[in-house]
Amino acid sequence: MNSELSMTEGGAVKKSNAGAPDGLATPARRSEDSGAAAARARGSSARRVAAIARNTFREAVRDRVLYNLVLFVLILTGGAVFLGELSAAQEAKIIVDVGLSAALLFGVFIAIFVGVGLVYKEIERRTIYAIFAKPVGRAEFLLGKYLGLCLTLAVNVFVMGAGVSLALLYVRGGWDPLAASIWPAVGLIYVELMILVAVALLFSSFSTPALSALLTFSVFIIGHFSAELKGLAAAGGAGARLLFNALYYLLPNLTNYAYITAASHGRTPAAADLFGAVLYGLAYITVLLAASALVFKRRNFK
Amino acid sequence: MNTSEERGPGSPADVGGRAEGPAAAHDHLASSRARGARSERARDAALALLVVAGLVAASGLSRWLDARRPAEDPFAAYEELYVAPETARRMSLAFNGLAADWYWLRSLQYVGRKVGAFEGDFRLDDMSRLGIRNLGALLEHSTALDPQFMAAYEFGAVVLPSIDREAAVRLIGRGIRENPGEWRLYHHLGYIHWQAGRFEEAGEAYAAGARIEGAPAWMGALSAQMHAHGGSPEVAREMYLRMYEQATDDQVRGLAALRLAQLDSLAERERIGEVLSAFRARAGRCPASWREAAPLLRAAGLRLDAAGSPLDPSDAPYVLDAADCGARLHECSRIPGK
Repeated sequence: MNSELSMTEGGAVKKSNAGAPDGLATPARRSEDSGAAAARARGSSARRVAAIARNTFREAVRDRVLYNLVLFVLILTGGAVFLGELSAAQEAKIIVDVGLSAALLFGVFIAIFVGVGLVYKEIERRTIYAIFAKPVGRAEFLLGKYLGLCLTLAVNVFVMGAGVSLALLYVRGGWDPLAASIWPAVGLIYVELMILVAVALLFSSFSTPALSALLTFSVFIIGHFSAELKGLAAAGGAGARLLFNALYYLLPNLTNYAYITAASHGRTPAAADLFGAVLYGLAYITVLLAASALVFKRRNFK
Repeated sequence: MNTSEERGPGSPADVGGRAEGPAAAHDHLASSRARGARSERARDAALALLVVAGLVAASGLSRWLDARRPAEDPFAAYEELYVAPETARRMSLAFNGLAADWYWLRSLQYVGRKVGAFEGDFRLDDMSRLGIRNLGALLEHSTALDPQFMAAYEFGAVVLPSIDREAAVRLIGRGIRENPGEWRLYHHLGYIHWQAGRFEEAGEAYAAGARIEGAPAWMGALSAQMHAHGGSPEVAREMYLRMYEQATDDQVRGLAALRLAQLDSLAERERIGEVLSAFRARAGRCPASWREAAPLLRAAGLRLDAAGSPLDPSDAPYVLDAADCGARLHECSRIPGK
């Protein structure tokens, strides 16, 4: 499959150079041509990734993944209507806590259970052979799948965030600053979910769905225990320090994205913290996707 | 013996039979389909009935099992908290706010259950007779999970002191450590100390709160008043006025309003006492009824009802105590006696 891919990609490059016979081209023109060809190749690669992402999103919609929004709306409506009387004037805080926690929890389940099936389903249905018979690289396939699920989650998280804002406006009977101030926290939830999808994709690139789901869920839990890992590293001996420090830096620190409680008090993360967390997430996602591509390139589908 | 079977498929009789056959077969098919549909519907109905009957049976059994259990005594029940606050915080992952809300709702329900089971008079700041032993632990959990949960601190500062004053001080102290820039917590701490008659500590708490950026000027003023005359009604009025203004909880605001009304009533009773003293000095006796002293009471700025009786802040008439020649609260008054 690898050789086929490189041949295809090589073919595409050769085709783009066809208009300029090698013997007549000057070095400058050759350089221009190869630059243009590379740009075209990049453009077509982006189109392929986008096509896979679009299809992954459509498949998620067909699989009724977004039906969880109905449950979410029910939870929020219940919270908004009934908690007002039970919470002693804390309904806004509770709506934010319940709404954003549900957004995170549902998102985690989608990221894990849909994420681990992204590659596996294609292999199981043998549609992966049809995909790789086309000029699609394995890394492009993975990236497309990843972005498709991220798009699904983006819709999910955005609708849930909007639902929380609307619920706040409803219980306040007018404008509530919380309706706007929760959005940085919503954004950070989304980045956390993007990391989890990448983790799920990495595990599913070499393991079974059940094991991948288990491992990804473990990463989610350990990711929220990062502070404990650092504490253990500080308290232990040299060996323990090395081990726990390695784990601390190797596993994603998901506490960087835990702003739900602060958001319920109308607090927003400092700009530096927000951008730092987003950058950290992007760096981590890059690492995970690169590792997934490396593993997936060596995978035998027979 | 030339039967149709013997004639074979091409015989005229067979042709006639085939002409009738499709209609009969169609009828047969239709009736069989109708039968099938009927039995399908019957099966669906039976299944639906089974679901409903099963739910009814399960509910009935559940009620029967509940009835067999000994009734829970809300005063004897010990609400076990399975995990320490810090452990709960660690275990809650990113859902600590949600867990804090759960403990908060549980605290309110816990108090609500005790209140529902208690037959007697009580106020929010004196619930010692209700046996609310675990409220401190529940609020501690709530604030450990969400250290910025101001409503829990406020509730604890008002309700806890009559149950466990040191737990209340610990709760607010923890809040101050977690939120050093929150002057309202010093107000709560000052209130707890003031209630206990520890005016020096209360003054120190208000002084510390006054130093925080954004703290209102009255924090400093209250600190000075507390040091000078902490037990005076003026300080009490200032204290409850600020509590009324700052409260986020309607119950706490209601308590502050009640205490302010009580202070008003005390001032009114003092004025009535002065009027009665003046009447006695002039007439040589205590008035036999309020009507006798009504002009003097009106002149003193007191509100009177149609019968000339002075009214307390809850609009109940004061009772003339002929023995002491003073006024006391009517039994239907909503003003607390102490």
